Amino acid sequence: MTLKIEKAGPVDAPPPAPDKIKAIPVRHYGRWVTAVITIALLALLVSAFARGDVNWGAIPDYFFDDEILKGVRNTVWITILSMVVGVVLGIVLAVMRLSKNPVTSSIAWGYIWFFRGTPVYVQLLVWFNLGLVFDYIDIMPIYKDEWSDFMTPFLAALLGLGLNEAAYMAEICRAGIQSVDEGQTEAAHALGMSHAKTLRRVVLPQAMRVIVPPTGNEFINMLKTTSLVIAVQYWDLLQATSEVGQNSGATAEMLFLAAAWYLILTSVLSVGQFYLERYYARGSSRNLPATPFQRVRANLLSFSNRQGGAGA
Amino acid sequence: MTAMVKAEGVHKSFGAVQVLKGIDLEVAPREVFCLIGPSGSGKSTFLRCINHLEKINSGRLYVDGDLVGYRQKGDKLYELKDREVAAKRRDIGMVFQRFNLFPHMTALENVIEAPVQVKGETKAVARERARKLLDRVGLADKAGNYPSQLSGGQQQRVAIARALAMEPKLMLFDEPTSALDPELVGDVLDVMRGLAEDGMTMIVVTHEMGFAREVGDSVVFMDDGVVVESGHPREVLTNPQHERTKSFLSKVL
Repeated sequence: MTLKIEKAGPVDAPPPAPDKIKAIPVRHYGRWVTAVITIALLALLVSAFARGDVNWGAIPDYFFDDEILKGVRNTVWITILSMVVGVVLGIVLAVMRLSKNPVTSSIAWGYIWFFRGTPVYVQLLVWFNLGLVFDYIDIMPIYKDEWSDFMTPFLAALLGLGLNEAAYMAEICRAGIQSVDEGQTEAAHALGMSHAKTLRRVVLPQAMRVIVPPTGNEFINMLKTTSLVIAVQYWDLLQATSEVGQNSGATAEMLFLAAAWYLILTSVLSVGQFYLERYYARGSSRNLPATPFQRVRANLLSFSNRQGGAGA
Repeated sequence: MTAMVKAEGVHKSFGAVQVLKGIDLEVAPREVFCLIGPSGSGKSTFLRCINHLEKINSGRLYVDGDLVGYRQKGDKLYELKDREVAAKRRDIGMVFQRFNLFPHMTALENVIEAPVQVKGETKAVARERARKLLDRVGLADKAGNYPSQLSGGQQQRVAIARALAMEPKLMLFDEPTSALDPELVGDVLDVMRGLAEDGMTMIVVTHEMGFAREVGDSVVFMDDGVVVESGHPREVLTNPQHERTKSFLSKVL
């Protein structure tokens, strides 16, 4: 049964919009107090550093020094490559770990046990010194060389950092894969998709939402952990700053410079992580989180509203 | 004529719990076969055995004359490889209680996923048929929406279109309307009624007695892992012979 409701009155007259609420917002005096205290403490800290025995002029002088820039490039490069090794191998290990095949899952378990259980610094040194065990590397048809020529500082750094990272990434990926609802796998199987297709097309894209945030964290961690490759004589940012520092006599200044560069690089990574998380959130939430620009705009709008509201 | 589904003494247990205690039944091609019964009676488990989402422990289960999950050579049974099981599932569509749409894909992408990935169809061909299927379930204008932007009833209709995209010869419905708001149930049942009229073989686990009576060709009442009563819906639903059927129907009708 359907009823037809006749609307009274002319259709084209819109109902009058209700008056917007105009109220004086709650005042947060505590925020002003804490802000003033924080700024005062910061000012004290800055003045202490400014008056200290530090040659601040040396920092801008060397900031874009060729040797330093080479160190920055190498640090970024080894970070990216190690993470690529870590993520790819980590996903493989996670899938192996969750496999029904007892052999592959034991191999993955053993790998994670070993590489997570020893310090990365030790692993770097071990890779560098494996020449004690292997005199030659001999991959029959393709490559043959003495170990010491083969295991360059770069390769030792890449293997040491990448293989260690894979163990951590494997655990992160495993958590991600297990977070996907079992109904998804069932639906894919019911459509006739194979295990591999189900994993690649259905499970992993959804697992990414859980995997990406801790991976961003790992990336930032990795950028800082690369400072350990000084152990294998790879020319990274820290190595470059300490060499330059020794040659120029501005040792402490160069450490501040290194800190500034690390801070810049991690900040850039944080921004990248934000947009990556936004991308993988699509379909799972109706409203994507606002980008910083959108948030600034919204804040400015609400600020102008507040003033307008109080005035009217 | 071979039965589309034939079960002979099908048993299934999870650990020590026996869920199916010897199911015998036959579903003819083009038949709409409704499974009713209280929760925990094994209806859904039986349905999941048909496309081998669950392994049966004893008995035999055939789909279109082929043994489910095994190959018989002489008097020996060989387990099928995962790849062979997957190939058999292509011909059996399944609709779940909780839809299980892929949330990272739009409605259209959900529908074309299996034809493209499993059958190797080109995207253009799959897309064209997907649009027709979405039109058929009344959602032509929702093709670009993600599942989270659709109501439960719309999601379930997309799920039906997704299953139909593989052009199955048998459709399994596992309580397709149980997770829906009452006002959305009708749209889904209308789509299923249309499918039945087109001659699709359907096995429907349901609590919608009205649907079973109007659309069903036969009804089976299951309780505690056995078939208690079966027959034409009018007889079973209006004139049940067994005590357990009577008491169940008096509660749900």
